[in-house]
Amino acid sequence: MPKLIVKPSSLKELWKITPALPYKRKYLSGGTDLVNISNAGADDSDCWLDVSALTELWGIKETKSSIFIGAAVKISEIENSVTARRWLPALIAAIPHFASPSLRNMATLGGNAANASPCADGVCALISERASVWLELKGKKRKIPLTGLFLGPKKTALKKDELITGFEIPKWKHTAAYQKLGPRSYFGISKAAVAISADIKAGVAAKVSIALASVGPVIVYAAKTSAFLSGKSLVADVISEAAELVKTEVSPITDTRSEADYRREMCGVLVSRALQGLT
Amino acid sequence: MNRINPNGFFSLSCFVNGQKIEREISSSRSLLEFIREDLGLKGTKEGCGEGECGACMVLLDGKTVNSCLMMAVQIDGRELVTIEGIKGKDGGLHPLQKTFMAEGAVQCGFCTPGLIVASEALLRRKPKATLDDIKLELTGNLCRCTGYEKVISAVDKARRSRK
Repeated sequence: MPKLIVKPSSLKELWKITPALPYKRKYLSGGTDLVNISNAGADDSDCWLDVSALTELWGIKETKSSIFIGAAVKISEIENSVTARRWLPALIAAIPHFASPSLRNMATLGGNAANASPCADGVCALISERASVWLELKGKKRKIPLTGLFLGPKKTALKKDELITGFEIPKWKHTAAYQKLGPRSYFGISKAAVAISADIKAGVAAKVSIALASVGPVIVYAAKTSAFLSGKSLVADVISEAAELVKTEVSPITDTRSEADYRREMCGVLVSRALQGLT
Repeated sequence: MNRINPNGFFSLSCFVNGQKIEREISSSRSLLEFIREDLGLKGTKEGCGEGECGACMVLLDGKTVNSCLMMAVQIDGRELVTIEGIKGKDGGLHPLQKTFMAEGAVQCGFCTPGLIVASEALLRRKPKATLDDIKLELTGNLCRCTGYEKVISAVDKARRSRK
């Protein structure tokens, strides 16, 4: 554990106090990843900045063209949000598969993204929703596509002290599915998972976006399969072809949770199941 | 900024089981250490220490959290309820404790405080919880002795007795 945890009450205060803090510092949000890493003796930081009191990171807001979810919003708040239920079907479908109820009361989407795990269910769903992420450093804001945040397992494009402040998801009419394969039905880290968002009119998919978890160094956006499906009727032959194509877009590894070949095969199965659920 | 002095100490102010608590704590104290060692409330257990098993579960502002993965400073200004704060109306056994005993849902008992806390959170939120609701709510609580059927029927029985 770090010797010091500080809790600024606004972003302005955060940027003011940061320079005087120990150099090895990290942001603390829900703690479900960071405290875990620290309990295992794998965190060497001297100071944590608790972001939970930053009101700028709170709330789910709706504008004409998008939904904004603050980085410090708890996963369970999203689960119960009428706005999220209306506009973010992939995220809502993923939430029951996101850890356990008590961890969902603690964990935040900001933390889920900052942890940069290739297994992150929340990030996988958000990428299929076509989300962007808002970042801030010393009062300077920037917005990048969420896919651009991840460089590798546990590696992000965040600069020193740069903070994730929230996620912007465009409003677009779509249905969605989340399929996860893990060691048990709920509360497990996936061997493979897929989020599909699609705008379907009369059986034809006008716009499709597919993201996959645990089958690459970062969450994979399956660009080719998404493009292949766009404009097509989701009939059996098309679904079979998509299930084959998606296997060429992933790069799974063999580790304690599963084997590379099995994971690749399951990507096809999960995409097929998810698409069948949409039609 | 919240009250942290240069030595990393924090003046924590919170409610625990309905009582106001004010303590100077090290800001690096975990919530579980605070509960068990500083407050001496030993009903909350440390199982895995990774958020997997739910033995350390407590209620924070009425919602379940894993105290092994929280820092004590995070409960400043908030209301904590541990297993010691879950009682029947007469101060005796809580209905869930009674049905856990009646159904034989307890063996070694290590997971029981967490299971009662999680079940209580569910029944407060969803008085008409179905068997599926109960199963889903308890996905974050592991029991290595009895299995889960007796636990689920104990929660269901407590739900019916609440009517």
